Amino acid sequence: MNAKKQWAEMTWEEKRTERFKRWLTAPNIKFVSQEAEKLYTERVTRFARAFHLEKTDRVPCILPVSNFAAYYGGSDLRTVMYDYDELKRTWRKFLHELGDSDTFFGPGMVPSGKMLEILDYKLYKWPGHGISGDTTFYQCVEGEYMKADEYDALVKDPSNFWLRTYLPRVFGALEPLRNIPPFTTIEEIAIMSFVSYGRPDVQAAFEALLKAGRESMKWISAVMEVSQEATRMGYPAIMGGLSKAPFDTLGDTLRGTKGIMMDMFQQPDKLHAAMERIASLTIDSSLSSIGDSGVPIIMMPLHKGADGFMSMRQYETFYWPTFQKVIMAFVNEGIMPILFAEGGYNTRLDIIKELPKGAVAWWFDQTDMARAKKVLGDKACIIGNVPTSLLMTGTAQEVKRYCQNLIEICAPGGGYILSGGANIDEGDPDNLRAMMEAVKEYGIY
Amino acid sequence: MDTATNWAEMTWEEKREERFKKWLNPEVKFSSEDAAALYNERVNRFIKAIKLEEPDDRVPVILPAGNIPAYLAGINLKTAMYDYDALRRAWIKFLHEFGPDMDTFIGPGLVLPGKVLEIIDFKLEKWPGHGLPVDIETYQFVEKEYIKAEEYDALIKDPSDFWLRKFLPRAAGAFKAFEKLPQLTAFIGIPVFYVGAYADPEIQAALKVLMEASIETMKWNEAVKDVNRQSLEAGLPSFWGGMSGAPFDMIGDMLRGTNGIMMDMFQRPDKLNEAMERLVPIAIDEAVAGANASGCPIIVMPLHKGTGGFMSNKQYETFYWPTFKKILLGLVNEGLVPMPFAEGNYESRLEIIKDMPRSSMIWWFENMDMAKAKKVLGDTACIAGNIPVTTLCTGMPENVKEQCRKLIEACAPGGGYILTGGATMDRGNPDNLRAVMEAAKEYGVYQK
Repeated sequence: MNAKKQWAEMTWEEKRTERFKRWLTAPNIKFVSQEAEKLYTERVTRFARAFHLEKTDRVPCILPVSNFAAYYGGSDLRTVMYDYDELKRTWRKFLHELGDSDTFFGPGMVPSGKMLEILDYKLYKWPGHGISGDTTFYQCVEGEYMKADEYDALVKDPSNFWLRTYLPRVFGALEPLRNIPPFTTIEEIAIMSFVSYGRPDVQAAFEALLKAGRESMKWISAVMEVSQEATRMGYPAIMGGLSKAPFDTLGDTLRGTKGIMMDMFQQPDKLHAAMERIASLTIDSSLSSIGDSGVPIIMMPLHKGADGFMSMRQYETFYWPTFQKVIMAFVNEGIMPILFAEGGYNTRLDIIKELPKGAVAWWFDQTDMARAKKVLGDKACIIGNVPTSLLMTGTAQEVKRYCQNLIEICAPGGGYILSGGANIDEGDPDNLRAMMEAVKEYGIY
Repeated sequence: MDTATNWAEMTWEEKREERFKKWLNPEVKFSSEDAAALYNERVNRFIKAIKLEEPDDRVPVILPAGNIPAYLAGINLKTAMYDYDALRRAWIKFLHEFGPDMDTFIGPGLVLPGKVLEIIDFKLEKWPGHGLPVDIETYQFVEKEYIKAEEYDALIKDPSDFWLRKFLPRAAGAFKAFEKLPQLTAFIGIPVFYVGAYADPEIQAALKVLMEASIETMKWNEAVKDVNRQSLEAGLPSFWGGMSGAPFDMIGDMLRGTNGIMMDMFQRPDKLNEAMERLVPIAIDEAVAGANASGCPIIVMPLHKGTGGFMSNKQYETFYWPTFKKILLGLVNEGLVPMPFAEGNYESRLEIIKDMPRSSMIWWFENMDMAKAKKVLGDTACIAGNIPVTTLCTGMPENVKEQCRKLIEACAPGGGYILTGGATMDRGNPDNLRAVMEAAKEYGVYQK
């Protein structure tokens, strides 16, 4: 950021103004035309106002697509995960043919299949690798990748736990890293440490990591090419980085749902200590990941705090405190967190309204939007929530009518962005166009 | 330890008995029945001394031999660092010449492989021919403020991350690119961008250097292992089971430097204390892993900045001793025997350091009135030391022997004493080492 000197002394609102100014002026983007630049400015302004509960020319819209472009382009997820030219071709086709929209999601969420195979990644199944080749999405494989008695190790030295215990479990190719000693040492040079790196299996693990890195680079350059083209055409990105709630990090990818639910009862103190540790690491890594993107928005998909997963008391005790800490760290750095509440969040509305006005945006999946507007309306921008079922199976007319209703409920006074409850991979592109028609017809302020 | 399942419930004494048993029964095929018997005698001699009991026969000895095997074989430290065959030959020669008489043998594991240090462009030491004249017989540590005062938080938050991305890039030129690595804990879901960082050519190069250095280290390690194996087979126990130290020294030596840490005691005492606390379990784990691998329960702990004259007793009690003591107790509770080597003069600390369980550790002193040490610590800890290096390096054998006699008279009564040097010698008259052994056998006999 410019004005680094006084950065530390600025309020979060001032920092945010700075960051949004940079997003708006896009100093490093060469637009394809003046028209594109003008549209870019309009679109960013529209989002920025909606995020900050101000009225704008019309309700902005985030089209709810994830792997849609692959199927629209006549390909499928499996193919584009392995063939980066196809990945580019399909996303560019969608970009050029869809028509007007307020933002565009590049293919950054479609991982390189080859990279995952090189590392033998265990946390996900993907089409042709554990699930049927024609599946349109991934399947997370939950497991107890961290054992119940490993909380102390995680808290004591997180990266040591990651490198020598966790990574060897989730990446088959990195399994030999179990054999390397800790980096930390009492000696100024722990020369014997090097011996472990000479083991053929450890060397093979590092070779795999380097190979996976090179493969990722090919993939990253394909992704960047498409994403930059979209921005140059005037479509701003609205995801500068990804982050998670500490409870979800532990529950999704370390202890598993069952494990963490037991821990709430059997070892609550250790769970809290681990979440505190993870919170501060999450803050660091998310802030550094957003550094270069120029987009001041961090998306946080939320899982295990949804209605029905835990009681209010548990939410307040276990989920919310460290989640709030992470959110506020982003807010205090001038970043806008978009909190994507998967499932229902109806029972959580009264807690989450605690956050400062305009600090965050809530993207709801199955939450009652009328109630959300009522409870959160003067505190946070709300986003959502055309049902995926309707988007995939309904007619364009039905989608448009649903959007009209949502807009009437949520738009008054500003602070609303029309979107889906979740993202779709397949379906009629006219249903997406119907959403754009709806905001232009019914969403004018 | 491949231990009984109830390890956690055992007392420290019980755990230590288990570890002593392992030390007494190493996984090695002795070269003769004699060697096996001698091995047993030697280890038992040390065990009794540690337990503050009189050994069956005499005072045990650790010959204060540093890099002297190199010089006695006609090579120097530089050659030993670069030519692993010469290193092996020199230490084997020493083993053959002194073996029958010694109580323990220190292998060549402390002679660092020069090529590895060059490959990684190591900045923390100078060595003969690399920043020091070729005929120097030891290393020179290069102290600096490798870590800035405001980086304590990073150390406290995630020590290994701090080591990997902040300390290593500064300690070794070849690892500079690790600064650019993302946090290991950073990835979410599908780690595409995370893995992409490893495509960075500088990071790829750094990891390749690491692998190259490891292959070179393995060659060196073959020589070291061979010597250590031969020494065990000959019946000589190891007395170097693992290493540890005081958190104050870890930070003061390697990270902040003397100047930095002295300022921190005044300017940011809380951060300093918090960082030292974080290092306690890490240092314990490292020592336990070392002892488990070596089979020897003695943990050598070189101490630096807590010595007399470096800080007041009040500072010692506030900053140095609390976390150091936690490590000592942590090691004791794992059945290990901490052996701090108090460089400099520790006389002013005697009253403080005696606050430890009886017979749980060994104190090895450099400059110390050993009679006073015996008086203050004698019924708490085994003491070791402290023939002056000056006598060892420049005196006549009879001077050495006389020094040893006085030490034995002051320290040996009742047990709990190991005869050794105040530091180790790298060059000098080998007969001075023989004189040490003679003195133990002549003056150090316990009458039954």
